[in-house]
Amino acid sequence: MDPLLALAVVGALVAVSTVVGLAWRSAQGRVRRARTTDAVELPGVELAPGATLLQFSSEYCSPCRATARVLGDIAASTPGVAHFEIDVTEQPELAARFRVLQTPTTVVLDAAGRARARIGGAVRADALRAELDSLVGARASVAA
Amino acid sequence: MTAQTASARPALIDPRGARFTASVTAMLLLVDVALGLVGGVAPTFAERAVQPAFLLLVALAAVFVWSAAAGVARNPWSVLFRRAIRPRLAPPAELEDAAPPTFAQGVGALVTVAGVVLHLAGVPYGLVGAAAAAFVAAFLNAAFSYCLGCQLYLLLVRAGVIRKRPAAA
Repeated sequence: MDPLLALAVVGALVAVSTVVGLAWRSAQGRVRRARTTDAVELPGVELAPGATLLQFSSEYCSPCRATARVLGDIAASTPGVAHFEIDVTEQPELAARFRVLQTPTTVVLDAAGRARARIGGAVRADALRAELDSLVGARASVAA
Repeated sequence: MTAQTASARPALIDPRGARFTASVTAMLLLVDVALGLVGGVAPTFAERAVQPAFLLLVALAAVFVWSAAAGVARNPWSVLFRRAIRPRLAPPAELEDAAPPTFAQGVGALVTVAGVVLHLAGVPYGLVGAAAAAFVAAFLNAAFSYCLGCQLYLLLVRAGVIRKRPAAA
């Protein structure tokens, strides 16, 4: 191949990879509202009265450790919120049921065990706190 | 490959060293893509075995295999980072587990070895395709701290390729 054309191909490869990387990074940590409202049976997981943070993790995943710390802190400082970490290698069926495509993935369950929101990738504490405020706050006002 | 044999917890590493290793690897893979495009695939086996792109990919594959087997901390670029660069930097904010980048090195080993074999077999664009795929992973890791193990490992689990280790009874 002509060296100039080869250089153009290499440049295009870098450009496409950069676009992919930017798209990937902007999707990480974004809170998405769940579309399904079915409650899921979760053996071994005790649902909290406010919200339960169900985190899917794996061994070869550094952001999972950081996310576990963030979720642990939020659960400890927010009444009625609990954090459960599930290793996808231990429970692949559960990972498939929640259509987990990357670790960490965090599913926010309400008191009835319905998935209300999910976060792919490392969790940003402020985004999750805002989501919990609307979820737990709304339920509290309904109950009152 | 590494997934089922990694029973002992590997050491903690400086995450900046892993990023440095990925950066150098990505640069070399990109050079290899360019060499492979310019050189093409030589007509005979003996000629293919001495093409610059092939020799560079063999070297890169050897480094991947070594770091996947010995741990990413023993990767030559990681060693260079520790000896020459890290002493000039402030201590890292936190250390991270060496297992995720070592898993990524194993994936890199598989892809680059495939490229080596395809090139020797005379498959057009076999080397370029493999080097480009490995480049994308290394580049995303270096530039965006993309975690290959976070995506690929999970797909292997869900496809049933990686199964739960039997509990030590």
